[in-house]
Amino acid sequence: MTKVIEVRDVYQAYGDLEVLKGISFDVHEKEVKVVFGPSGSGKSTLLRVINMLTPPYKGEVLLRGESLMAPNANLSKLRSRIGFVFQHFNLFAHLKAIDNVSIGPRQVLGMTKEEAHDVAHDMLCKVKMEDWGHHYPAELSGGQQQRIGIARSLAMSPDVILFDEPTSALDPELIGEVLQVMLDIAKEGTTMIVVTHEMGFARAVSSEMIFMDEGVIVEKGTPQHFFQNPETERAQRFLLRLEVLYGQAEDEKNSE
Amino acid sequence: MGLYFFAIFLGLGLGIGFAIVRQYGGSLTSRIATGYIEVFRGTPLLAQIFVVTLFPPALNAWLVASGMAPIDILWRIFLPDPFGNPSIVLNTRILLCAITLGLNSAAYQAEFFRGSMGSISTGQSLAATSIGMTRRQLIRFVILPQSLRRAIPAWSNEAVYLPKYTTVAYLVGVEELFAWAKLAAGRTFLTIEVYVLIAIVFLVLISIISWILEYTYNRVKIPGI
Ligand SMILES: Nc1ncnc2c1ncn2[C@@H]1O[C@H](COP(=O)(O)OP(=O)(O)O)[C@@H](O)[C@H]1O
Ligand SMILES: [Mg+2]
Repeated sequence: MTKVIEVRDVYQAYGDLEVLKGISFDVHEKEVKVVFGPSGSGKSTLLRVINMLTPPYKGEVLLRGESLMAPNANLSKLRSRIGFVFQHFNLFAHLKAIDNVSIGPRQVLGMTKEEAHDVAHDMLCKVKMEDWGHHYPAELSGGQQQRIGIARSLAMSPDVILFDEPTSALDPELIGEVLQVMLDIAKEGTTMIVVTHEMGFARAVSSEMIFMDEGVIVEKGTPQHFFQNPETERAQRFLLRLEVLYGQAEDEKNSE
Repeated sequence: MGLYFFAIFLGLGLGIGFAIVRQYGGSLTSRIATGYIEVFRGTPLLAQIFVVTLFPPALNAWLVASGMAPIDILWRIFLPDPFGNPSIVLNTRILLCAITLGLNSAAYQAEFFRGSMGSISTGQSLAATSIGMTRRQLIRFVILPQSLRRAIPAWSNEAVYLPKYTTVAYLVGVEELFAWAKLAAGRTFLTIEVYVLIAIVFLVLISIISWILEYTYNRVKIPGI
């Protein structure tokens, strides 16, 4: 299988604070990589490094073999092929939902107004928001805003989409609708890197999970590996804590 | 009035420009913009007008002293008057006053716009960048449409204060409305009435401006915010 993203030994620091200390992994076509770990371990920073929102001071990131750090790299062009879904949605407040989705195809991909509108409409259908296209972000619930955020990324037909805790800012009753959309697009073969603590999602679609702590990858493995016998003590402790936090629902699903 | 409209629109154009450069320019250009804004906001308008209107005679004195021909600063354009009293509509002094008022207003307006740009979440900038927008597209399609809307209330203050500031120009001999008032008062001997009329003209003008801006603000407001 072809490699979509290669992360090679990246380091990142904010001042004296080392946040990423030599992270490497590959993401293959149609793979769903789940990244998890304690708050402050550098997960968001890792995603921002991958599309160069904050370039690393050492190491390299490649998109289909093309370095994003080459001096002559056209970063805007490369970024348009890497979707990003944010924890706090970050929709454009002055644009209707459908225009949030069409602005990328229209202005970045250079489609005509009609083409961009058609793409946006298709994407709204995909996230089940076709009836809400004419509402402004502030008129939508968090779950609806996040689905628009996903549609905005999908509309660019990216090679890979990065998700940064897409459901952690949502009220519990709204998490399901967003996870359902993510499951749908994962099953369609979208290549994804997902930072999340939703272990049900990980179990359903993740090919490999990465446990991060203090800027390093502590342990990698399949969902089965992590849920049955995580090797490191740090991963064991963290998963246990998650179970306490996210409660019985997970256990019940296990026993079914 | 011409002075006012010239100054407010020159200030608007330059103000937006300086705000963008200060917020999104390179480190040198943004420092230049900051310097400009601070100098014009930090010194009295009257001093600025004096300096600028004294500049052409000073320049000519220097040109003559160094053996060069002075530039013509005495040109003027007249508006024909049916009563046979032609009034000056434009000369060096009026033009320089208008430009200074515009430059001064630009500094204040730049700060309004910068304030409203800063209030747009950095998240939206990240989102725009992440779908592949260039910095220029980010400013054009995300920052400006929102910050211009948000700046309208603060901008109304500037639009309402500026007519009053234009009267400062009177002190250096740009007479505008007051010249007309003096003339009318001299002809009719209704001095008080004429000045009351001027006050009313100002009041009406300012009310109309406020109303237009408030109407515009409500029209372009983003629903739900
Ligand atoms: N812009 C920033 N400036 C300074 N420190 C930051 C910045 N962003 C994140 N950090 C710090 O870097 C560390 C990792 O942050 P982050 O990548 O957000 O972790 P996570 O997403 O895993 O919670 C934290 O200690 C955080 O305080
Ligand atoms: Mg984070």
